[in-house]
Amino acid sequence: MEKYDVAIIGGGSAGLAALKQLANLGKQAILLEAGNKVGSKNVSGGILYSKKPKKGRVFNVEDVFGEIFFQDAPFERKITKYILHATSKDKVFSMDLTAAHEYEANFGYSVLLNKLNGWFAEYASESAQKYGGGIVSGVHVSSISWDGDKTIVTTDELEQFEVKAIIAADGVNSEVADMTGARPKFSPEQLYQGVKVIIKLPEDIINERFSVDSGHGAAHLFAGDVTLNHIGGGFLYTNQNTISLGAVYHFDSLLENPAEPYTLINELLKNPFVSEFIKDEVPKRAEIDKKLPQEDQLRIRFAVTKMIKSWYELRDAALSSHKKNDLMKSGKFVSEKDLQEKLVLIRDQLTSKYKVSFATDYVEAEYSAKLIPDGKRCRMKKPYFKNILFVGDAAGRGIFVGPRIEGLNVGIDDAARAANAISNAIERNNFAPTYLGESYVQSLEQSPYTKDLTEIDKNYLKIFLDASKDVPKDIISSRYGTIMKLMSSGAIRSVAVKFANILGYDRLLPMVESVDTYVKVPIEIAQRLGTTITASYSPTIPSISERIARLSYNDDGQSHIKVLNPTSEFMKKLVVLCPTNCYSLENNLVMLSHEGCIECGTCSQETEWRHPRGEKGINYQYG
Amino acid sequence: MSQLNVAVVIKLEPDFSEGSVSYNPDGTLNRAETKNTLGPHSAIAAEAAFYAKVKYGARVSVATMGPPIAELALQTAQRLSNADELHLYSDRVFAGADTLATAETLKAGIKKMQGDIDIVFSGHRASDGETGQTGPQTAWKLGFTFLGNVIDYEVDLDARTIKAKRLISLQGFCDIVEEVEAPLPVFIAVDPSYKPIFNTVSQRLSFAKYRKESEVRSKNHKYYLQVFNVEQLGADKTLVGLPGSPTIVYKVERIPQGKAKRQAEVLDGSNPEHIRKAVSKIREALSAMVIK
Ligand SMILES: Cc1cc2nc3c(=O)[nH]c(=O)nc-3n(C[C@H](O)[C@H](O)[C@H](O)COP(=O)(O)OP(=O)(O)OC[C@H]3O[C@@H](n4cnc5c(N)ncnc54)[C@H](O)[C@@H]3O)c2cc1C
Ligand code: SF4
Repeated sequence: MEKYDVAIIGGGSAGLAALKQLANLGKQAILLEAGNKVGSKNVSGGILYSKKPKKGRVFNVEDVFGEIFFQDAPFERKITKYILHATSKDKVFSMDLTAAHEYEANFGYSVLLNKLNGWFAEYASESAQKYGGGIVSGVHVSSISWDGDKTIVTTDELEQFEVKAIIAADGVNSEVADMTGARPKFSPEQLYQGVKVIIKLPEDIINERFSVDSGHGAAHLFAGDVTLNHIGGGFLYTNQNTISLGAVYHFDSLLENPAEPYTLINELLKNPFVSEFIKDEVPKRAEIDKKLPQEDQLRIRFAVTKMIKSWYELRDAALSSHKKNDLMKSGKFVSEKDLQEKLVLIRDQLTSKYKVSFATDYVEAEYSAKLIPDGKRCRMKKPYFKNILFVGDAAGRGIFVGPRIEGLNVGIDDAARAANAISNAIERNNFAPTYLGESYVQSLEQSPYTKDLTEIDKNYLKIFLDASKDVPKDIISSRYGTIMKLMSSGAIRSVAVKFANILGYDRLLPMVESVDTYVKVPIEIAQRLGTTITASYSPTIPSISERIARLSYNDDGQSHIKVLNPTSEFMKKLVVLCPTNCYSLENNLVMLSHEGCIECGTCSQETEWRHPRGEKGINYQYG
Repeated sequence: MSQLNVAVVIKLEPDFSEGSVSYNPDGTLNRAETKNTLGPHSAIAAEAAFYAKVKYGARVSVATMGPPIAELALQTAQRLSNADELHLYSDRVFAGADTLATAETLKAGIKKMQGDIDIVFSGHRASDGETGQTGPQTAWKLGFTFLGNVIDYEVDLDARTIKAKRLISLQGFCDIVEEVEAPLPVFIAVDPSYKPIFNTVSQRLSFAKYRKESEVRSKNHKYYLQVFNVEQLGADKTLVGLPGSPTIVYKVERIPQGKAKRQAEVLDGSNPEHIRKAVSKIREALSAMVIK
């Protein structure tokens, strides 16, 4: 049997950081990832933060990967504007929360995980190779067993092998947690469901519309009627030449008031404020004359597809300083004028010859979804089991404080701490939970993130209070009267926060994370103070089947999910809550067709839930 | 563990996949107008060599005989096999070679490779000169054991032996897999259905490492390339090229496409009479089948 020092299960940002950190410490580790390529199964919003804590130290992305991260990593834009919008029909009231975004942060970059994790993988595997390790993708870990002091890993694809310690970085739907019984499955009150679409938009249009320079970007957050009465909200982050638009809602509130995840996204798309942000000039094909011979119809369809593709390519290049320069350098075009002329030519041909029209609409590229753990409610207090250490989403360490979602950075910090603990264990040849597990727990307890997960930070809170000073007091005080009074005065605030911290998040959360906060108050604010926005078009929103059809899958004939109780109330709600309509109700029984599953985990609570075998299942292009 | 040296002999072939094939009026291939690429069977041979690299850390040399443009095939083969050495045997003298003369050139080339070659891989046969003779003839000239239709193999580096699985098709009846063992060196013609399987962590790790390396190497393929003319190869001029070729192709005929024997009949599923007809046809077909 082959032997390795460390196995890391899961190649999301957390697992990849663990691999890099172990290599930084000169230790041998292999990382096993189920997706056929690292990054193909990961979904985020996402803004990757680097934390600058007032006290304590954090292992940030640049600490683990080094300065090369700034020079070479494919992040999208540095987010420099952060604005919260309260919505009610066509009215919007906006509050600048850039101070909250910048709070204790070195930076926050918008990222797309397929690209970013791909980059992490390249650097981590290169370093890991030096110590006889590396990344093995397309491999699904199916069990872990112990035989005396031997730890044996079994996969669906490879021969078994032996390791000294394991890092479980297998995400929110951790099978390692499940198979070892290290923790119970997360329950709906501990989870959020995130749904996202990627929208294409040329770089220069983004710069102009969001008033940012190349390389810089904006984040917009939404609460109010766009939530359709759920706890949570929407986000819009600018990437280099795409936009991430997402909806994140508390699972409990979705169960209480079920709404299809795509309906929640569509609600955002239909909001005039959002639809104006994402609008673009979109070619619309004319109906092909059905009377023409079959062959001619095909030929026309083919020609139009090809021409539209080149129109998009050239247009996007013309509206992106990066791409334009690349095209000039490659010698394809001698000047910008040359490029513009070619563009006009294609456009003329499309309109005159093929009757293609150009309309205002938006272009959607990818639909995705994933559960997000709310660490305030579900973090593992002791994230280890025997010689396995849990990191990132697998350990339930997602931070939701205010509108900021932080999972990527927290996972990277966990991973570095787990790697440090294992490195020490290797040196002392001691993998006992009392040593390895406990030293990891100790390190985590010192992490500023653990503090964020357990305590209210009065300085962070003040930012929100300051931002809401234009909001009429009566809207707020009718609901949070006493809290507001206590919090508004500087002197009392620290006493109040202390008191609140004694009460603990458990008791405070239901008060703050409520329909009032996410829905009623924002609606009222928007109605009373908001400006009216008129939409210049109404977006053509793809149906869910069209969205699924655009995704790329490596189909597995075998289902990775088994329904345990087809008559349970929970499963019946899944008919609505599964983001890709995999469940249906037939004769009062819930039936699953796993084709189309995007592995979000929403149904995992009451199913036997596994990730698909290696290389199988969803293959995200953006993530 | 002792070293393993493997060679792959490949061929630049017309790209039949593109549909960009062009024929001369006399029915022979118009080579000037047809695009060229690494032959599909040669590509499989390169993959079989890559398997030896991943599994046994083998040193891989790739060789071809052909015009200077055949360098392209070597480059592609290097991307597939992460070759350490590329050989191109190019000389006017080699032109017009039949399989026997080609085998002579390849033999001379293989002898020039670094280290003593333990396994030579070749494709099943080339798609443009479908004889399948070059392999066995080269093996014979080298004095290597010839193993054809190989779908899997395993080397015992210390005992210097190879175990191979051969796919034998009993035309129409069934396929059987024969397991053979032979001492090295051997010449292997790889079966078109060959698919390398890597099922240990260490193999997957080396696979990833060598795959990446091969991308870099093939971009820089000239560094690994050596071109030999007949003198440099030290081959006997009377045994290569046209003088060394006893075979003369005097005419190639294009086979007119035969009319398809299948006859489709449209049956309407809503018509019971038609369904009955379909059932009886299936019965008929089944009873005609001999089940062994
Ligand atoms: C809509 C949305 C918005 C978000 N916004 C933000 C944001 O703005 N900022 C932020 O910091 N965070 C954000 N998050 C959270 C963040 O994306 C996650 O916390 C983070 O991606 C988790 O990383 P991870 O490495 O722990 O897990 P994952 O990325 O889930 O990786 C787990 C990996 O393990 C693999 N795997 C699982 N089981 C096995 C097995 N048995 N064998 C082999 N491989 C296996 C999976 O294929 C997967 O690649 C958001 C999340 C969502 C869904
Ligand atoms: S079947 Fe389950 S895991 Fe798959 S997409 Fe639907 S809810 Fe998500």
